[in-house]
Amino acid sequence: MLADVLLDGLGLGAIYAFIALGYTMVYGIIKLINFAHGEFFMVGAFVGYFALRDLGVDEVDLPQPLPILLAFLVAITLAATAAALLAVLTERLAYRPVRRAGRIAALLTAVGVSFFLQNLAVQVWGAGARAYPEPGIWLYVDDLPAKADADYKIRERVEAVVLKGDAIDTARKAALRAEGIERVYRTPDLTKEGKQGFVLLALLLWTPVLWWLVKRTRMGRAMRAVSEDADAARLMGININLIVAATFFLGAFVAGVGGVAYCATYGSVKPLTGWIPGLKAFIAAVIGGIGSIPGAIVGGLLLGVAEFAIPALLEQLGWADAKAFQDALAYVFLIIVLLVKPTGLLGKPQREKV
Amino acid sequence: MDAGVLQLPLAIKLDLWLTDQVILVGLFALLALSLNLINGWGRMFSLGHHGFYFLGAYGAAWLTAALPTGLPGALVFVTTCLFGMLVATAGGLLIGVPCLRLRGDYLAIATLGFGEGVRLVISNADVRVPPGFTVPRVLFEVNSSNLLMYRLLFLGIVILLVVGVVLLIRNYVRSSAGRAMLAVAQDERAAGLLGINPTGSKVLVFLMGSAIAGLAGAVYAHYSGSVAPKDFEFVLMVTIFLIVVLGGLGSISGCILAAFLLRATERGLGMVGGVVSEWWQVEFALILILLMIFRPNGIFGPRELTDVIRDWRQRRRAGSKA
Repeated sequence: MLADVLLDGLGLGAIYAFIALGYTMVYGIIKLINFAHGEFFMVGAFVGYFALRDLGVDEVDLPQPLPILLAFLVAITLAATAAALLAVLTERLAYRPVRRAGRIAALLTAVGVSFFLQNLAVQVWGAGARAYPEPGIWLYVDDLPAKADADYKIRERVEAVVLKGDAIDTARKAALRAEGIERVYRTPDLTKEGKQGFVLLALLLWTPVLWWLVKRTRMGRAMRAVSEDADAARLMGININLIVAATFFLGAFVAGVGGVAYCATYGSVKPLTGWIPGLKAFIAAVIGGIGSIPGAIVGGLLLGVAEFAIPALLEQLGWADAKAFQDALAYVFLIIVLLVKPTGLLGKPQREKV
Repeated sequence: MDAGVLQLPLAIKLDLWLTDQVILVGLFALLALSLNLINGWGRMFSLGHHGFYFLGAYGAAWLTAALPTGLPGALVFVTTCLFGMLVATAGGLLIGVPCLRLRGDYLAIATLGFGEGVRLVISNADVRVPPGFTVPRVLFEVNSSNLLMYRLLFLGIVILLVVGVVLLIRNYVRSSAGRAMLAVAQDERAAGLLGINPTGSKVLVFLMGSAIAGLAGAVYAHYSGSVAPKDFEFVLMVTIFLIVVLGGLGSISGCILAAFLLRATERGLGMVGGVVSEWWQVEFALILILLMIFRPNGIFGPRELTDVIRDWRQRRRAGSKA
C-alpha cells in the first residue's frame, strides 16, 4: 500500500519534474510563466507517438530488447528536438516582440500561445485520445515456453492465437506451424510500476547533464548572468537573444523527453495532454523555488507524492470522496507555499527593490 | 429547444436568434467589465474569472433546485441570483485574502488554479449522470409560443444589469475608495505611505469583480435552464480576457464594444463556414497573440469611446484648417 502510493507518486512526480525544469529555467531568465510549455510537452508526446508508430515498435523482429530501446531512443530524440525547435520558434515569433511590453502583456501572450497550440493540435490531430504504441517482441513458435506467459498474437489478427496460461507442447506447436504460423509476438510484461521506474531512471540520468550544462559550461554561465542582471550581462558582451533562445531550447528539449515518458506510461496522447500537467509542473517549480534546477526536481517529486499520499491518507481516515480533491491539491499546496515561504523550498531569498 | 420552435415563422425565429445573441453579448460584457475592474483598473492579474462565473451559476442552480416549489417565481429568481452572487463573493474572499499579497504572476497562477480547481473538484464530486443541474424555469413556463417573451424578459434583465454595472464602475472609480484603488494599482508602496490600506483596497475591488461575475453566472443559469462543468472551461477565461484586452484595460465602452465585436465576428465567421469557422479557436488565439504584440494596451487603451471620437474630430478639424 505505502510502496504503491510512493511509486505512483514518484513516477508522476518525475514527469512534473521534467516539465518543471523548463518552466524554472525560462522563468529564471526572463521572468515569464511560459504557459505554452505544457504544449511543448504535448507536441513532443505527439511526435514521439508518430515516431514510435512509424518505426514499428509494435512489431520488432527479434526477441531482444535492444531494437525496442533503440526505437524509443530515436523517438525520444525526435520528440525532444521537435519540442525544442517549436519553443525556439515560439520565442522568436511571439515572446521576443513583447519582452519589453510589460509582464502582463508577456503573460497574456503566453496564454494565447498555449491556447493556439492546443487548438492547432485539435485541428491537425483531432481532439480524441490516441493509444500510445506499445512495444512488441517476436518469438519463433519453437521458442515458446511450455506454458504461455502472455497472450501471443500474429500480425494478421487482433485476437491472440495463444492465450496466457495455455499449455504448449510439441503437438500444439505443430498445429500452429500447420496453420502457417512461424512466429508470434507479445507485448512485454511492462507493468505501470516498471514504466514509472524507467521514468525515474531517465530523470536521474538527465539531472546531472542539466546541472553540468548550467553550472560548468560557458553557455550556462551566460544564462546565470542574464538571469542575475540582463542589462549588465549585455554590457559584458553576452548575446541575450541567443541565451534566451538556448534556454527555451534546453527547457523544451527536456519537456519533450518528459512528454514521451508520460504518454508511454499512461498509455495515451491527446491535444489537451499538456494542459493540466503543465499547470501542476509550474506549481511544482514554485514549490521547489522558481529559478532553481534542484528545486524543480524536489518540487516535482514532492507534488507527485503528495497528490497520491494525501488523498490515500484521507481515505484511510474515512473520507470516501477524497479522490475528488486530488486535482485541486496542487493549488492548495501552491497557496500555502507562497504564503509561508514565497521563495520556495530551495529558492534564493529576494529583496523587493523600491 | 422544443420542436414547436422549428415551425415558427422566419421573422420570429430571427428575433429569437437575435435576442439570444444580444443576451450572450450582455453576459460577456458583464464578465468583461468585472474582469476589467480587477485587471484593468486594479492592475491585478487574475486568471480565475471563469471560476466565479461557475460558482455563481452553480450556486443559483443548486438553490433553485433545492427550494420548495410553489414560491413566487420572481422571489425565487432574485433570491437565487443573490445567492449565486454570494457564493462567488465567498469564493473571491477565499482566494483573494491569502493571494492578493502575491506578486503579479503568482497571483495569476493562484487564481487560475482556483478557477480550474473549483470546476474540477465539483465535477469530480458530482455523482449525477450527466453531471450538472437542470434549472427549473421559475419566472414562467416556457413553450414555443412564449419563448420570445421569455427571451425579451431576459434581454431586459441583462441590459439593466449592464447599465447598473457601468454606473457602478463609473462612480466607484471616481469615488474616494476608487481613487485609493487606482493609487494602489499605480504604486502599492507609495499608496501605503499615503495612508491607504493596499490590501483592503485590493480585496474590495477583487470582491466586487467576483460578485458581478457571480451574478452574471446566476442569470446565465436561469436563462439557459441547465449548467454543467464543461460550460466553464478555460476557453471562457481566454474569451473574457480577449474582450478586455480588445476593448482596452480600463475602458468601459471598449469592453462592451469588444464583447459585441467578438460575438459578431464569431457568428460572422461561423456563417462563412468551412475551414474559417472550424478553425475559429485557432484564429481566436492568434488574434490575442497579435493584439499583445502590436497593441498591448488594447485597441483604445484606457480611453473611452467618447474620448476616441473627440480626438478624431479634433484631429480632423485641425487637418481641414491646415
